[in-house]
Amino acid sequence: MDNSRHDRNNRVMTSAPHPAPLLEARALRFLRQDEPVFGPLDFALRAGEVALVEGDNGSGKTTLMRVLTGMLRPGEGEVRLDGAAFSLDTMAGAVVFLGHHLGLKLDLSARENLRVSVGLYGQRQGTSANAALAEVGLAGFEDEPVRRLSAGQKKRAALARLLLLPARVWLLDEPYANLDREGIALVNRLLEGHAGRGGAALVTSHGAVSFAGGEPRRIRLHA
Amino acid sequence: MANWVPLWLHRLGSPPVFYRFAGAVRPWALGLALVLAGVALYGGLFVAPADYQQGDAYRIIFVHVPSAWMSLFIYGAMAVAAFVGLVWRIKIAEVVAMESAPVGAAFTFITLVTGSLWGKPMWGTWWTWDARLTSELVLLFIYLGVIGLYHSFEDRRQGARAASFLVLVGAVNVPIVHFSVNWWNTLHQGSTVRLLGPSHIEASMLWPLLTMMAATKLYYIASLFARVRADLIASESGKGWVRELLAHRDGSGA
Amino acid sequence: MTPGSTSAACAALLRRDLTLAWRRRGDIAMPVLYALIVATLFPFALGPEPTLLARIAGGVVFVTVLLAVLLSLDNLFRADIEDGSMEQLMLAPQPLALLVGMKILAHWITSSLPLIVVAPLLAGMLKLPAPATPVLVFALVLATPLLSLLGAVLVALTAGSRRSGMLLALMLLPLCVPVVIFAAGAVAAAQEGLPWIAPIAWLGAGLAMAVVLAPLACAAALRIAMDT
Repeated sequence: MDNSRHDRNNRVMTSAPHPAPLLEARALRFLRQDEPVFGPLDFALRAGEVALVEGDNGSGKTTLMRVLTGMLRPGEGEVRLDGAAFSLDTMAGAVVFLGHHLGLKLDLSARENLRVSVGLYGQRQGTSANAALAEVGLAGFEDEPVRRLSAGQKKRAALARLLLLPARVWLLDEPYANLDREGIALVNRLLEGHAGRGGAALVTSHGAVSFAGGEPRRIRLHA
Repeated sequence: MANWVPLWLHRLGSPPVFYRFAGAVRPWALGLALVLAGVALYGGLFVAPADYQQGDAYRIIFVHVPSAWMSLFIYGAMAVAAFVGLVWRIKIAEVVAMESAPVGAAFTFITLVTGSLWGKPMWGTWWTWDARLTSELVLLFIYLGVIGLYHSFEDRRQGARAASFLVLVGAVNVPIVHFSVNWWNTLHQGSTVRLLGPSHIEASMLWPLLTMMAATKLYYIASLFARVRADLIASESGKGWVRELLAHRDGSGA
Repeated sequence: MTPGSTSAACAALLRRDLTLAWRRRGDIAMPVLYALIVATLFPFALGPEPTLLARIAGGVVFVTVLLAVLLSLDNLFRADIEDGSMEQLMLAPQPLALLVGMKILAHWITSSLPLIVVAPLLAGMLKLPAPATPVLVFALVLATPLLSLLGAVLVALTAGSRRSGMLLALMLLPLCVPVVIFAAGAVAAAQEGLPWIAPIAWLGAGLAMAVVLAPLACAAALRIAMDT
C-alpha cells in the first residue's frame, strides 16, 4: 500500500515543472585502499528512464551499485535521490536493489519470500504476489521451496519482488545472468513497464543487451 | 562538534606528515626512555632500601607497577584513537589504535608474569584469583581479541574499523568486569592479599617508580611510532610519497 | 498492520526466522544435545560423588549453556550475508537495529529456550539441590538473552572476516565473565541459603542495558562488515 515513506518525505510527491532527477550522481568516485575504482562519474536518471551501466569485469559496476544503494560510502562526490542527498538512514526503501546474491531464502517458497519482502518494504498499490509470480512465469511454482527451483527460476522469483515493492528506483546488478532468451525478454518487459509507470532503473551488464523499446541510456565505466 | 578538532587532526592525520613527525620524535623518545629506565632500575635495585616485610623481593614493583599502569593507559589511548578513527574516519587514528594493541598486550603480559613471580615468594603461589590479577588477565584477552580481529580481515581498513569497534566495546566492558570480579571475590574468598597496602611509600622507593613510569610512557611512544611508520609504509606503498621516500633513500645511498 | 510499517517488518522477519528454524528443526536439537553430552562428561571426569557434583552443578550448567550458545551464534548472520538477505534488510526502510533485534530474539527462541527447558534435567543429573533449581532457571532466563545480545555484536563484527570460531570465543570470553559470575553466583548463594536476589538484579540491569544498546551496536558493526 504504501507510499507512507514517500508521503513522509514529501519530495516524491511534489511535482515541480522541472522535477529533479530521481537518481543523480555528482562527481562520484570510489576509492578502495586509496586506489580509484571508478569515477569521477556524473549522470542523472529521470522518471521513465532506464540506463545501462557498461564496463568490463573489474571496472567497478557492482561497486557503483553498492555505492548507489548507500551500503558503501563514496570516496568523493555525492548521490542524490529526488533532489536530496541520499543516505541509508533517511531514504532507504526508495531504492530496491537486486544483486548477485538474490536475497532469497532457499527453505522458503517463492510466495513466502515475497511476503517477507513486502513486510519489510511495503507493497505497491494494485499488485499481488500471485499476479507478480504469474508475470515472471512462476505460476504453479508459488509454493515450491526455492531450493528446488532452477537457477533461472530463482532469478525469476527475485524479479517478482521488483513488481511488488513500491520503490521507484531499481538498481539491478547483472539481471540478465542465468536467464534464457525468454528470461531476458522478461527483464526488458519489466523494465519497460517500470519506466512506463514513472520509475527509473539502472542496470549493469557486461554483455551487449538489445532493447525492444528503444535504446536505453548508456553509462560507460572504464576498467 | 567544533570544527577545529577534525581540522587539526586532519593536518596531523596526513600519512606523510605523521610519518615524518613520528620519525623525528621516535629516536628522542626511545633514547630518553632507555636513559630513564636505566636510572630508575639503578635507583630501584641499588639505592632504595629493602622492605622491612618483603625484603628484596618487593623490588619487582619497579617493573610490575609501571607495566600494570601502562596496560590500562595504553587501553585508554587506544580507545580514544579508535573513537576518533571511527567517527571522523581518520586513517592515522585507526593505525594508532591498531598498533597500540600489541604494545598494550605486551605490557599486560609483563604485568601478569611479574605479578606471578612476585606472588610466589609473597603468597606462596604463582597464581591466585585475586580481583586485580583476574581483571588483568581479562584485559589481556581483550587485547588479544582486538589483535586477532584486526588480522582476520582481508581488507586492512575494514579490519581496523571492526577492531576499533571492539576496542570501544571492551572499554565499556573493562569496568564491568572489574566490578563483577570484585563482587565474585568477596563471595568466594575472605579478604585477599593487598599488593600495595595503605602503608605510605618511602621517597627513595617512590622516585624510581615514577621515573620508570615516565620511561615506560616514552617507550610506548617510541614503539608505537616505529610500528605506525612500518604500517604506513606497508599500506601506502603505492603512494607517491612512499615512492619519493624510497627514491630519495636510494639516491642518497648511492 | 500496514505492510512496510515497522511493526509489520518486525513481524515478517520474526516469522521468517522462526519458519526457517522450524523447517530445519533438527538443528534446534543440536545445542541441546551438545549441552547434554558436555554435562554428562563431568561426572566421568570428576567421579560420581554427589556432594562434589552438587557443589559444581550450577557452574557446570552455566558454562555448558554458554558454550552451546556460543556454538549456535556463529550462524546468526552468516546465512543472511551469504545469500544476500542482509543487503535486503539493510536497504529496507526500517531501523536496522530493530530488525537485528528481531533476529536476535528469533535466535534466542530457537537456540536458548530449548537449553533453558533442559537445564533442570542437567541440574538433576549433576545433583543440584532441588531448592536451587528454580533460581538456576531464573538466572538462565536472564543470562541467555544477555549472552545472545553480547554475542550478536561480536558475530556482527566478525561477519566480514574470514571464518573463525576460535576468534569469536576469544572475543566473547571477556564479555561473558560478568554474566557467568552473577548467574552462577546466584545459584551458589541459593545453594548456601544466602539471599540470591542481588546477583539476579545485576543480571537484570545488564540485560536491560544490553537490550537497548546491543542491537544498535550490532547494526553499526554490520554496517562495517558489509562495507566491502
